[in-house]
Amino acid sequence: MKTVLDIENVHKLFKVGFIPKKKEILKGVSFSVAEGEIFGYLGPNGAGKTTTLKCILGLIFPDRGQIQIFGQPYLEPKAKERLGFLPENPYFYDYLTAREFLDFYAQLFRVKKDERGKRIASLLSLVGLETARDLQLRKFSRGMLQRIGLAQALVNEPSLVLLDEPLGGLDPLGRKEIRDIIIRLKAEGKTVLLCSHILQDIEMICDRVAIIVGGKILSQGSLTDLISEKILFTEITLSGLDPKDLAGLGESLSAHGGRTLIKVFDEEKIQEILDLVKSRRAKIHSLIPRTQTLEDLFVEMVKSQ
Amino acid sequence: MRRTTSLILILGLSCLLFMGLKLEIDKASRQKIPGSSIIYVPSGKYLKTATFGFSSLMADIVYIWAIQYFGNLAIPDKFDHFVHIFSIISDLDPRYVDPYEVGALIALYDTKDVSLAIKLLDMGFAKNPDLWIFPLEAGHYAQLYKKDFPLAREYYKKAMDIPGAPDIVKRLYANAAFKTMDVKTAWETWLEVYETATDERVKKIASNHLYNIKATVDIQGLRSVLEKYKAKYGRYPDKLSDIVTAGLLPYIPKDYDQKDYGYNPKTGDVKTAVIPWKR
Amino acid sequence: MTIKVIALNTFKEAIRDRILYLLLFFAALSILVSRVLALLTVGDRAKVIKDVGLASISFFGALMAILIGTGLVYKEIEKRTIFTLISKPMRRHEFLLGKFFGLVLTLLVMLVLMSVIFLALVFFHTSTVEWKLLLAILYIFIELILITAVAILFSSFSTPILSSLFSLCFYLIGHFSWSLETLIKKIPAGLLRVLAQIVYTILPDLENFNFKTEVVHGLTIPPRVLLYSVAYGLLYTVFILTLAVLVFRRRDFI
Repeated sequence: MKTVLDIENVHKLFKVGFIPKKKEILKGVSFSVAEGEIFGYLGPNGAGKTTTLKCILGLIFPDRGQIQIFGQPYLEPKAKERLGFLPENPYFYDYLTAREFLDFYAQLFRVKKDERGKRIASLLSLVGLETARDLQLRKFSRGMLQRIGLAQALVNEPSLVLLDEPLGGLDPLGRKEIRDIIIRLKAEGKTVLLCSHILQDIEMICDRVAIIVGGKILSQGSLTDLISEKILFTEITLSGLDPKDLAGLGESLSAHGGRTLIKVFDEEKIQEILDLVKSRRAKIHSLIPRTQTLEDLFVEMVKSQ
Repeated sequence: MRRTTSLILILGLSCLLFMGLKLEIDKASRQKIPGSSIIYVPSGKYLKTATFGFSSLMADIVYIWAIQYFGNLAIPDKFDHFVHIFSIISDLDPRYVDPYEVGALIALYDTKDVSLAIKLLDMGFAKNPDLWIFPLEAGHYAQLYKKDFPLAREYYKKAMDIPGAPDIVKRLYANAAFKTMDVKTAWETWLEVYETATDERVKKIASNHLYNIKATVDIQGLRSVLEKYKAKYGRYPDKLSDIVTAGLLPYIPKDYDQKDYGYNPKTGDVKTAVIPWKR
Repeated sequence: MTIKVIALNTFKEAIRDRILYLLLFFAALSILVSRVLALLTVGDRAKVIKDVGLASISFFGALMAILIGTGLVYKEIEKRTIFTLISKPMRRHEFLLGKFFGLVLTLLVMLVLMSVIFLALVFFHTSTVEWKLLLAILYIFIELILITAVAILFSSFSTPILSSLFSLCFYLIGHFSWSLETLIKKIPAGLLRVLAQIVYTILPDLENFNFKTEVVHGLTIPPRVLLYSVAYGLLYTVFILTLAVLVFRRRDFI
């Protein structure tokens, strides 16, 4: 598997405040992204996700460390030509219309004139903004801005796309649409690096992740490797049994409307409950084994710091 | 790193080049254009400082103000700072000819101080040594009003030597040693200047002189006729045309601009319709 | 090529800025007011009109350069529109130069507009189109180019208010250079004097572009001075822009 992005031991120090106090944001970050995967870069706010991205893009210069894109030194224009970037909470030239906006960026990538029109049209339909073609960006809603930003990131048909919190501030429908687009990108052979702190979305679409907390990478690898398949507990919803009868078998979470929800940690106890239900002719409404989620792992990592 | 060094090289090179150019420009012509607005002179200093690069405009403004100021008859001691004000204008824009001209006229007609007028013309000539009109006028006033023939001759000599001066100056120079200037010579002088002048400004100045000469002659004539009328009828006429009706004059002269003279029947005074230096 | 794209985009952005038209309105106003002022003068009326006109064009042109220029780069950094640009295959200096040329183009358009109004008024008074006046205006334009470079330099690292102040200081220092020269003559010869002379030569001399008086009085200007002044303006601009590029190169965009 070819490595598309390789970051090694990147350090970055900022001097903050009127009387400059040193603040180390990145304390030796290393990870790599392989071709064709969707890579999730997670961490709490202030962990250094955006700073890492800015280092990759040449907006910030790291104090130490190496970055390579497509096997080339990362600041080479040739490397940047195959890169696409969507910043967090994007602002754009609000006096331009959607079409003029994409045209401007296409020109920066030296896309030829005849090709430009076609590409802009296909991008606008990809992100679902054909109707807003001649609308000025100042009139766009938050979701529309996010989508035109995504279009801008794809204007040069990049091989590697960097997205910083692309799902922030979107309603559930918007989030689904963006997620679908990202999956489509992968199907087209592109590599995506996705920064987020919304774990449910990461879990849904990413192949591999890296978790950064306090400027350090705490773990990285494929989701299946990181999250154990061990069952943590089982949630059973039943009716027809007195909560008192379930004492000692698990933790009773709630009981109302005739239904009881009980959290069972011990596998053997599940069998006991099932027997009890059968003997008393009670009813089971649901039985859900809960495995570790990304959220659990994440909280564990953060707490350990 | 290589990029940075080449950038620093460009920085250093461009710096040295423009520094060199600056020294060259300083040496070159600025000093040779007489009266360029860069010359730093203490008086008028305040205004020069406050008008970085717009001293020419400031000269205009001060001049316009001065005209209103000196035209205001109510101010009694306005001539105390006359020289100072006009030297400020001169400092701000030495090549501005009108203020010297008009200043001299104001001095002459309002204060009757010929030396003051000549002083202003000297100022103008000092800053504009290529303008022969200044010493010509200075000589003219010296001869006509001060009767200072040697002084007049000096000025005519100065004027004569400047390329472009009309031939009449040579003749004036020749005659100044011998006689007071009579009206006829004065009239001829300025008529010739007017007709041979190619510069609009010089033409204007000459026409002013012609206006004043005609006015002087006309008013003198009118006054003596008015006295005759009074002697005959015991009082001044109600209007000037009465003199014609009385048969003392064939017609009432108009001024150089074909306008009527002003007449005050109570005192018998005749004046020009406009203030001479505002014409 | 990239510079051209950024320049055209900057031009489109600047030409929509309302400040520009407000200043243009005042410039036109003051040029036309000169007509009234001229009525009060005795003698050559046209001189006053020409003086006020050239002064207005110079003054308002400088204001436009400073007010718009100091916001140009700063706004992009503040609003973070710069992120999507720098991350493209574009060298940082291309971005700066693009902004510079865009503003210069805008100023050229504004200058042409003001000149048309001015020449029309002069024509109305003297019945001739005084093409000589364009010479003074050309050099005003060169001065504006330099001021734009300075505004962009400060804009790349400072807030618009501070940048405007610094640019204004540059403008004032530039017009007072001659007073330093007089001062130097009074310093006794020695190290201090040499140092002062070096400082004097490095500091900008914007009076080198001031040919207003000469043009209004119809004096001839030696061609050498004209040539040297253009070269001076262009070299100083190169100097300032290089400085700006150096500052901008390793800047972190937090």
